[in-house]
Amino acid sequence: MAEIRSLRDAVADLIHDGDTVAMEGFTHLIPFAAAHEIIRQGITDLTLVRMTPDVIYDQLIGMGVARRLVFSWGGNPGVGSLHRFRDAVENGWPRPLELDEHSHAGMANRYVAGASRLPFAVLRGYRGSDLPKRSSTIATVTCPFTGEELAAVAAVNPDVTVIHAQRADRAGNVQLWGLVGVQKEAALAADRVLVTVEEIVDELEPMPDAVVLPGWTVSAVAHVPNGAHPSYAAGYSVRDNDFYQAWDPISRDREAFLAWMREHVLEAS
Amino acid sequence: MSATRAEICVAACAEAWRGDGEVLAAAMGTCSILGARLARLTFEPGLLTTDGGAMLTAEPVPFGAPAGPAEGWMPFRDHLWLVQNGRRHVMMGASQIDRFGNTNISAVGAWDRPKSQLLGVRGAPGNTICNPTSYWIPKHSTRVFVPKVDMVSGVGYDRAAELGPVASRFHGLRRVVTDLGVFDFGTPDGAMRLVSTHPGVTVEEVAAATGFDLVIDGDVPETRQPTDEELRLIREVLDPRSLRDREVRT
Repeated sequence: MAEIRSLRDAVADLIHDGDTVAMEGFTHLIPFAAAHEIIRQGITDLTLVRMTPDVIYDQLIGMGVARRLVFSWGGNPGVGSLHRFRDAVENGWPRPLELDEHSHAGMANRYVAGASRLPFAVLRGYRGSDLPKRSSTIATVTCPFTGEELAAVAAVNPDVTVIHAQRADRAGNVQLWGLVGVQKEAALAADRVLVTVEEIVDELEPMPDAVVLPGWTVSAVAHVPNGAHPSYAAGYSVRDNDFYQAWDPISRDREAFLAWMREHVLEAS
Repeated sequence: MSATRAEICVAACAEAWRGDGEVLAAAMGTCSILGARLARLTFEPGLLTTDGGAMLTAEPVPFGAPAGPAEGWMPFRDHLWLVQNGRRHVMMGASQIDRFGNTNISAVGAWDRPKSQLLGVRGAPGNTICNPTSYWIPKHSTRVFVPKVDMVSGVGYDRAAELGPVASRFHGLRRVVTDLGVFDFGTPDGAMRLVSTHPGVTVEEVAAATGFDLVIDGDVPETRQPTDEELRLIREVLDPRSLRDREVRT
């Protein structure tokens, strides 16, 4: 059964230097508050996994907590580049960032394999592209039934998966809905799972298309209303589009970035 | 009515889906998204189009508008399934494209220390091997149309041929639409061919903005003008805020 804990204690107990950490959530339910807590606690040398690293990983990478990034698309949605991500890859600032680049389908299937406790997943994509040459987690496999050669991608089993959800009950059962990405797969693939939620309720009411993570798949739930800001939680908040625009000039400049992080993350509680 | 360059591009993008029937028209970029919805409103009513997110809309909606009534729901995982299944024709962007339609959206320069880290390959390796794929490139230049891409994210005809007939059986690059013209790969070796130039653009201008030799078969026609009805749909229904003109300047 999942424990209900403070975000600070949950992060301190579950996430350690050198861990592989997946933070998922697509368009909404992006776990910003938990990422900020990781930064405040000075946890470092992480391998960060995320299908679509956006502003949340720009912040983590710019603060130097990551040594490696596993991803398929990195950008500021609707705005443009991630300047901290680019600075790390192009100039090694504040430290070099190793990349393991995959396609979207490859990433999703890597989580599915991880969640299924299988060593790899099979897909048709990748063949003919340059990715297999550049990643040790892409290979080919021959189908035992048809003889066709297909791409194999190594399973991802994060040490910790972190997600944000709309609500949990007091036993730590988690429910999320709206645009759902690969949160379920990433959570089931991980050794430890931290979920921040908008609300803790006595009973979870069924919702159409909701994903439910039973409490036994979750290590800790932390009550963090608005913990996905500047992204949103459908039914609870709206996307702060102005923030995504504002992030472009803030993140373009190293000093402006550091000043922003000091004021809004390091010195915030 | 006389059309702007952006409106000619929207109609040219729409043409990429002609004859596709009931497939998902996945589009990236303003003129491409407008083109998919325009095709559905006119000559290709079976197309499935989205609100730009996970909603399959009952009717093509104006650019950036809420989905309204939905006829389906296609969250990320289902979308990826559809890619494998192939009932999808995607029109993507490209930071670099070469003579055989290999594209790069990953990184420019050396792999280990790129001069320019781009967004990442996203769906390109799977899209090009599993689905019909077209490209929309709003600014045709020798920076984009290069002799050899720095990193193959999307697979072109030479790479597909190397894979052999089995692995490449779902590969198919349909069209490339740019602000200067329309291109395809209808040549024996799959090299890029100039299909038409947009009104006011010469073949020489296109060749000068292209960093490799295009196949040019005889007299190259002009890209068709949008019809009056298409212009009305673009201007009054799909894009009343004229976002298309920000992507392609007249």
